[in-house]
Parts: sequence; C-alpha cells; structure tokens
Amino acid sequence: MAERAAGEATVAEQPAVVVIGVGNALRQDDGAGLEVARRVRTRASAPEAAGGVEMAGGGEVAGAGPMAGGGEITVLEYEGEPLGLLELWDGARAAVLVDAIRSGAAPGAIHRLDASCEPIPALLRGSSSTHAVGVGEAIELARALDRLPERVVVYGVEGLCFDAGSELSEEVERVIDTLAEAVLREAADLLAPQRGGCPDADRASSLSRYGEGRE
Amino acid sequence: MSEGKRTRVIRTDYLARVEGEGAMYVKLDGREVAEVKLRIYEPPRFFEALLRGRAFTEAPDVTARICGICPVAYQMSAVRAMEDACGVAIDAGPLRDLRRLLYCGEWIESHSLHVYMLHAPDFLGYAGAVEMAHDHCEIVEQGLQMKKSGNAVMALVGGREVHPINVRVGGFYRAPTRAELRTLVDPLERARETALATVRWAATLEFPDVECAPELVALSEPGAYAIDRGRILSDRGLDIAPAEFDAHIVEEHVEHSNALHARIRERGTYLTGPLARYALSSAQLRPLARDAAREAGLGPVCRNPFQSIVVRAVELVQACDEALAIVAGYEQPDAPAVEVTPRRAVGHGATEAPRGLLYHRYEIDEDGTILDATIVPPTSQNQLAIEEDLRAVVERSLELSDEQLSLRCEQTIRNHDPCISCATHFLKLTVDRG
Repeated sequence: MAERAAGEATVAEQPAVVVIGVGNALRQDDGAGLEVARRVRTRASAPEAAGGVEMAGGGEVAGAGPMAGGGEITVLEYEGEPLGLLELWDGARAAVLVDAIRSGAAPGAIHRLDASCEPIPALLRGSSSTHAVGVGEAIELARALDRLPERVVVYGVEGLCFDAGSELSEEVERVIDTLAEAVLREAADLLAPQRGGCPDADRASSLSRYGEGRE
Repeated sequence: MSEGKRTRVIRTDYLARVEGEGAMYVKLDGREVAEVKLRIYEPPRFFEALLRGRAFTEAPDVTARICGICPVAYQMSAVRAMEDACGVAIDAGPLRDLRRLLYCGEWIESHSLHVYMLHAPDFLGYAGAVEMAHDHCEIVEQGLQMKKSGNAVMALVGGREVHPINVRVGGFYRAPTRAELRTLVDPLERARETALATVRWAATLEFPDVECAPELVALSEPGAYAIDRGRILSDRGLDIAPAEFDAHIVEEHVEHSNALHARIRERGTYLTGPLARYALSSAQLRPLARDAAREAGLGPVCRNPFQSIVVRAVELVQACDEALAIVAGYEQPDAPAVEVTPRRAVGHGATEAPRGLLYHRYEIDEDGTILDATIVPPTSQNQLAIEEDLRAVVERSLELSDEQLSLRCEQTIRNHDPCISCATHFLKLTVDRG
C-alpha cells in the first residue's frame, strides 16, 4: 500500500461520497463546475434535500484540501491543477466530478460518463483545461495507480465561452439547476450502501446525454 | 539522401505535456533547416492593461492569476516591485524567510510535476504519464508524493494550494506559528529523500549529445542560490540591477506567436531557467544539493537542455533542504507585515520562477494607483532560445524519420518546461502590414 505523507489531519475523516466541481471561476463557462458544486451544497442542506442527504460542512473550498466533516457527502469546489484531484478523492468510496467540456456538442448539453470501469474517451481527456495534465488524464492516472474510488461519475456541461470573465453564458446558466439536481441525485444514489463496484451494463454506456440539456 | 532538395515539414499542432496551448513548425529544404517556429496561439490575456487603475496592493493577487502552476513567482515579483517603488526592502528576517519558504514550495510543486509527469515519459519512451504509470508506478507515486509536500508548504504559508491568498505587499496577512511550520518537517524530509533518489535516477537516463548556445541569464545573490532577489547576471558578463532590465532587454512582437520575443540588446538570444541558474550559482548550492549534483556527474555548468531534468532534480534537493532550514530557524515575527506607504514612483522586481527569470515593473501614483505595468515571464524570454535549440537538434537529427524527428522536437521544447499560458500577453499589438 502506498505510504501516505503526514500533515493530513484534515483527511482523518473521509466522506463516503465526494462531489467535486472543477473549473476556473474567471473563465466564464469554465466556472460551471464550481457553480454546480455551490448549488448542490445549497440544495443538499435544504430540509427537503433529495433522499435526506446528510451534508458535510460547507464553506469555501476552492483549491483547498479535503474538508473534514461529519456528513456522508462532501462537496468541493476545485480550481487547482487536476492532479490534485487524487488527493481530494483519496479514501472516498465514490466521486462525482462536474466540469465544463468542449466536445463539439451544443452549448448547454449535459454529458454523463461513468468512469468507474471504462477509460475516459480520448475526446474528453483534455476537458476544457489547458493544463499539461487534464481532468481525464488525472482519472486515468489514478486508475493506473489504483487510486481511483470504486465509483467515479463525471458530469460535463458543454461550454460556449471560455474567455476572461466570471459570468456563465446563457446556454450554460440555463442548465445549471438541472445539472445540480442530477449531481445531487447521483451522489445520493452512490451513497446507498448496496451500490459499489462497476455499474450495471445499461448504465455503463460510456457517454450518455442526460436530461433535456437543450431546448 | 538521394532525392536532393526535398522539402520536409515537421509540425505538431497541439503540443502535449506543456502548460497552455502552443504548436511547433519546422521546415526543411533538403538538409537545410529553412524555418523553425514555436507558435504560441493561446489568446492574449491583457493582464498588464487590467492592472492599470488598480491599487498597488492588488498586484500580487491579480498577477497570481496569470498562472496556476507558478502563482507565487508572480506574487513575489509583484511585491518586490511594489516595495521597491515605495522604498521598502524586505531582505532579511522572518518575513523574507517565509517568502523564500513559500517559493521553495512552488519550486517543489512545479519541478516535481515537470520532472515526473511531463519530462520523464520522454526518456522512458511513453506517450505520457498515464501510459508510464502502468509500468513505472513507483516513479509516478514519487512525483505525486513530492508534489504533495510542495502543496503542503503552499497551503500553510500561502493560505491555500493554488493562487495563494496570504501574500501582501509588505509581507503576509498572517504569519504561521513555529508549531504550524513544524508540521512541514516530516513531509519535507521525505520529499528531500525522494529528491536525492530522483537525482540519482535522472543521472542514469540517456541524453543526446547536444549543447545550447545562448547566453545564460539568471538572478545571482552572494552566498545563496538566488530565488527571490539579486542582480541579473549572465555567463557572458551581463551584470545589472532589476531596474536596468528595460535598458538591456528588448521585447518584440513576431507574427507567428502571441508571446513577445525577448533578446538582450545588441547581443541576442538568451536562456533563463534551471540551466542558467545552475551555471551562475552552482557554487552557491547547499552542500547536500552540490554533492548530489557532483555525484550525478554535473560539472559547474550544464548546457545540455536534455539534462535539465537532472538540474531540476538537483533544484528539488536544494528547495527541500532550504525549506527545512528555514523551518528549523523560524521565529514568528511580531507583525505579519511591515507598513508600505505608496508614493509616486517606478518599481522593479525580478525573481526566479521555476521556469526562469520573471520581471515586473510598475509605475504608481502618489496614492498607489497603478499607472503602468510590464510583466516579462520566463517563457517569452526563452522562446528564441527554444527555437535555436530546435534548429540545432533538427540539423543533427536529419536521419530520423518524420515521426521520430517530430518526437525529438517536442522533447526539445519540453526540455525548457515552457509555460505558454504565462507567456501569452502581446499587449503591444502593433502589427506592421507594410
């Protein structure tokens, strides 16, 4: 087993499921994952939250390490370099990632990809990152090192504008709530104790459109 | 070759394993290299214009956003320049120690990413870190462990791992306690061991026999391996204060790149970064790093860009060892910052980003409003040197197939760990269309 470095008092209590919104808040639609994470947190802490989800402490996370919390689902916003994801989901049973992507689909389209058992398609490897190592590569690296949670589901929202700015495009803004809802449901689903290992065959199809992303 | 003047074009439209978006183009006429271009097509970001009209205290936080890999370098050059403008110098004591510690954290983070994830696959024959991880998981795990140690330093001193928020003109918002810094000892000691092993491992790699020609330029400080202050020196006699940067270095726009090309006035191409730092300051390395370099077979100067992986590994030892020394000797300062009162002035700051020299110049008003800003990142300074390297490598490798030659060219670029996102900023857009 790989030795873990010290100085990680904060990791003492790992959540069963970690929801990670990935992106750059200053690059318009690239901030979509972060916004989804914020709305998932708000929804989950509402009394009528899906499935009565118990939440870990909220707060600002952007780029920070894993949050200690008593809950079962931890929601994180992450603006850092994608290899840092390996630390964020370290010890978690399942992870749901949300990121903006550019795959050529219509802006606002939502993709769902179960990466638990299948590699991320090359199309999505780079996601919208210009970093040397993208989110998809971080997932594949973790898989090669046996450091991937049992279940990993990636939600991608097709972005339109990736220029400097903090506003989401209308097309993306319109689907953020739908996406947050889906992500929360997914996280609650993954929390159910019987789930684990590879998904059912019907859910394993690599890239599926989710919901009504477009009008 | 019997076909005479056959034209060969070697191009890569999207360079992998570099930060940002860039491309490469090489044209050969027969055995002659007709054209070599490192193209930076990532759009410009206008940070310099963005800074105008902002308060002088905002520069470290705004410029940190230029790069997610080396935000500390931007913060450090910015605070030095602003303090220079305001007549304040933080050249000793715990505040400077903390700055160096934070900078060491960034070197550890950035160098370990490059050495293990981006550069190692070139030598071991893999397309990338993922493919390499299947066969050499121990190398990748080492890289991740080192990177995590760097992250720990960044999180503790900088307030968070990416785009630190604890740095301000005059010092920090909060200075860590001695006890807090002690938590870094374990991870840093482990990182130092890994770094030493990395030097030994890197020395066993096979390197093509090439030398880069350009003048080597780096900060230099008596008795130290310069990171955060010093004069700008070269191996050919350049010796200037950061304030003289503009008088000696010219930046110009070239059509094929969104990054300005820098050269030394009336002398030409120069190179900044690990090879330059090592050439100018190898005698000032800490004993542990100096011994590691010697055992790895490095002389006092190394001009082979492929061997930069060894030099970076030596710098990893240096950064870990220095960080540990700072932690050991740290006394919490009475105040986390000194007061800095603005005045109408121009200030200059130069520090050593992991990739090389990073220069900032600001003109501020009497109330601290930024009137003008100039930022010259290392990759834009290195572009010409990288192109010259490409040309030399291609001239020596004509017998390779297109595919092999293309790979060799990409490696040549990656030797310099270019950060294309940083370099992109051709603000002074004056295209002469005749």
